Amino acid sequence: MMAEGRKELLMRIIDLCESVRKKGLDPFDVEVREFFDRLRELLPKLRREEEFYLDIQAVLGLADVVYQQGEWVKHRSSALYLDPLLIMLKVHALPPRELAEVLARSWHPIVDIECLTPGGIDEAAEYWKNLPPMDERLREPETAEVLTGELARKELAKMGVLSEEDFVALLDKSWRELREYAGERGEVSYWSFISDRSFERTVLRAWIVSFLVSYGYATMEIKPLEEEIILRPMPKPERPEQVTTFSVPISISRDEWLRRVKGG
Amino acid sequence: MAEAGDAAEMREKLARAAQLLLFRHHMEPGAKVWELKRALGRDYERVLEVLDGELERLGLTIKRVGEGEEPSDSDRYFVTLRGNPKLADVRTFGWRIDDMAMLTVALAQILVKGGKVPLKEVERVLEEKFPRWRVESTIDRFIRRGYLSEDEEGMLYIGWRTRAEIDQKKLLTILLGKETEGERATG
Repeated sequence: MMAEGRKELLMRIIDLCESVRKKGLDPFDVEVREFFDRLRELLPKLRREEEFYLDIQAVLGLADVVYQQGEWVKHRSSALYLDPLLIMLKVHALPPRELAEVLARSWHPIVDIECLTPGGIDEAAEYWKNLPPMDERLREPETAEVLTGELARKELAKMGVLSEEDFVALLDKSWRELREYAGERGEVSYWSFISDRSFERTVLRAWIVSFLVSYGYATMEIKPLEEEIILRPMPKPERPEQVTTFSVPISISRDEWLRRVKGG
Repeated sequence: MAEAGDAAEMREKLARAAQLLLFRHHMEPGAKVWELKRALGRDYERVLEVLDGELERLGLTIKRVGEGEEPSDSDRYFVTLRGNPKLADVRTFGWRIDDMAMLTVALAQILVKGGKVPLKEVERVLEEKFPRWRVESTIDRFIRRGYLSEDEEGMLYIGWRTRAEIDQKKLLTILLGKETEGERATG
């Protein structure tokens, strides 16, 4: 076997072993004995340092596969072993409420009480000592006020922040997400759709929604009495011609976002 | 006199054990074996046994959770509910039905795959039922709260809180026993 052929075989064994560890492949799919036989045949032909290094890596990889096989046997013989196929069928077929009930019936939540520790009191005292007086904190910063302005999408594209292709893909992805989230009801609360794990991401989602509505991917209804904003995704993007359209400014502050996140 | 002294000492140790277990004094709740040994002495297990009897009357129990198969001084004791909360009650703890369903799906996948599964695979299954942005943020939250753990290679494992709070065998058994709509129709 030529040097390149030897290297390829060693790399293939290493790659296969890594797949078992990283991708959760069945360790019994690896013909460990056969690979060890091949490595034994190969050993006297190895010449270069790199080949020896790869050989060591391959042996270590196969040893890891044997360990994984041991773990697999242990799992199969444990009380936790149930047919994975049946379990996954249930996972796919059951509605969220039934799945939630499964958790509730097997759940014993931890009970604990949060309290102030001596360390916490020290930290608070340190904070209090270093806190500037109120008049210093309320003093106006010596800076010139710059009014907020608007930045068009084309400007962003010019600045290289966002390309036309990226934007269209983002719009399309958000539209599909909105349809999925609205489900059979065909509508979803504006706030529950834009709310995300951080304030920045929430603002980004609100920004995308403004384009979804402007470009006819969705409609927006404001219910002032209920203080509710409803989004309805369109089956396909179209600009309604019979409807009067108008701009609606929606203010999103960090406080408002925090209040809604905490309120669930 | 000696008996009265022993009883008083036991009451004192019970109070100390209850404080250690119920009041959070670290990032994680509960107390480690070495902390209990230091505070209660060598017979700490006997103290916990008596405390468990007292807690039973309140519907609570004491549970030991270890990292590995062998017992160690780093194992942690927690106080948990003895029974299960009702689904309606769980919602008042701040859990959404969707979040609970997502945790069930993630745990079921990990458990049937022998204790670990690629995060991407869990996300792919969850995205069949829930929007992607919701799946990502919820999995992050489960990892932060200790229900799941993730390694640098993107594999998902059972977290310390799951080992403490969830009866894993029961979860799979109940899941397996649930009738799907198709089964009810043919049933």
